[in-house]
Amino acid sequence: MGFFEKLKGTAKSPPGVSPKEIFWSWLGGFLGIGLLGLLAAGGLAQQEKVMLIGSFGASAVLLYGAPKSPLAQPRNLLGGHIFSGLVGVACHKLFGEAPWFASAMAVSGAIALMHLTRTLHPPGGATALIAVIGGEKIHSLGFWYCLNPVGLGASIMLLVSLLVNNIPAHRRYPEFWI
Amino acid sequence: MGEEQKAAGDIPGEFPFCEILMGEQDVMEAMREIPGYLDITPSDFQEVYRHACRHAVRRIMQAAKARDIMTRDVLSVGPDLSAKEVARAMASKGIAGVPVVDAQGLVLGVISEKDFFRLMGASEFPNFMAVVARCLTEKGCVAFPLREKRAKDIMSSPAITVGEETPAVEIARTFTQKRINRVPVVDKDGRIVGIVSRADILKLPFLGG
Repeated sequence: MGFFEKLKGTAKSPPGVSPKEIFWSWLGGFLGIGLLGLLAAGGLAQQEKVMLIGSFGASAVLLYGAPKSPLAQPRNLLGGHIFSGLVGVACHKLFGEAPWFASAMAVSGAIALMHLTRTLHPPGGATALIAVIGGEKIHSLGFWYCLNPVGLGASIMLLVSLLVNNIPAHRRYPEFWI
Repeated sequence: MGEEQKAAGDIPGEFPFCEILMGEQDVMEAMREIPGYLDITPSDFQEVYRHACRHAVRRIMQAAKARDIMTRDVLSVGPDLSAKEVARAMASKGIAGVPVVDAQGLVLGVISEKDFFRLMGASEFPNFMAVVARCLTEKGCVAFPLREKRAKDIMSSPAITVGEETPAVEIARTFTQKRINRVPVVDKDGRIVGIVSRADILKLPFLGG
């Protein structure tokens, strides 16, 4: 296939989901992120208000919106966030003087490490990036960032997913654990 | 969509290959052969495949008509032929059923092995072993009640027939519902033009695909 032919795309967009499916996706997203926010406000965060990081919004889309995706499985969720966090913090420590370079290295490194460990989870890219550009509060956590908020937050989202996605008859979670 | 799924589920049980053709291992191998990351689990893919396969079978069976799959060169017998001659004809051609056709070509009924078995006393289970079992338990064998009979006496009637335009999916459903193994195909005047057996249906997806 030629270059321009490839640009046109060859496949069809898959069909949409039912209103029931949308409701349960909505409910999971609301409960997952809501619980994280409440716990953050309740003092579970190491530092004020860094419990809820942007990448969890993306994880919520996968966990509650596409729970059958391999990208949304526990292995990918926890592994993806934690490995990416490690890469992100390391890149900040090594290349923090040049944020553009540290950011690029963090995200690309996270993708590579997630592939290597079969833990691909797109929000991991955000977790790695936030380790670089997330500001002083994040930087001050050092590698602890990978455990709290990253590991802890992902685990709470996982618990909510295990509960909510297994209530309706037409849904189940996870497809696999590791 | 629910309607469509129901329709796909309608396919008679003769098509287990949608369930068994492809194992999880095969999907894993296939996914390894395709470079790049595929965002689907092997088991989800299998499920998609099973549904798609059923839709494909249904589509093919809807498109194929009786005329496309029937055997045209049909052995048929007249209504007054003796049971002995009917049995001989079936034996020499190695077939398990013949239509009974009058002089005008109209189908009056169908004679199958089962009709013979029943007349030979195997009324509970119309099969050959039931006849054997009866032969072994009772004195002598039991073809005598057949001696005086003619084709019209032993045939199952009225005949179940299908038209030349009947889709294969409906013929398959007829086989299942009426518990028969072959059905004569008649033209619009009711004259026999062919016969479709279960084997003709089974061959179908592999031919027509």
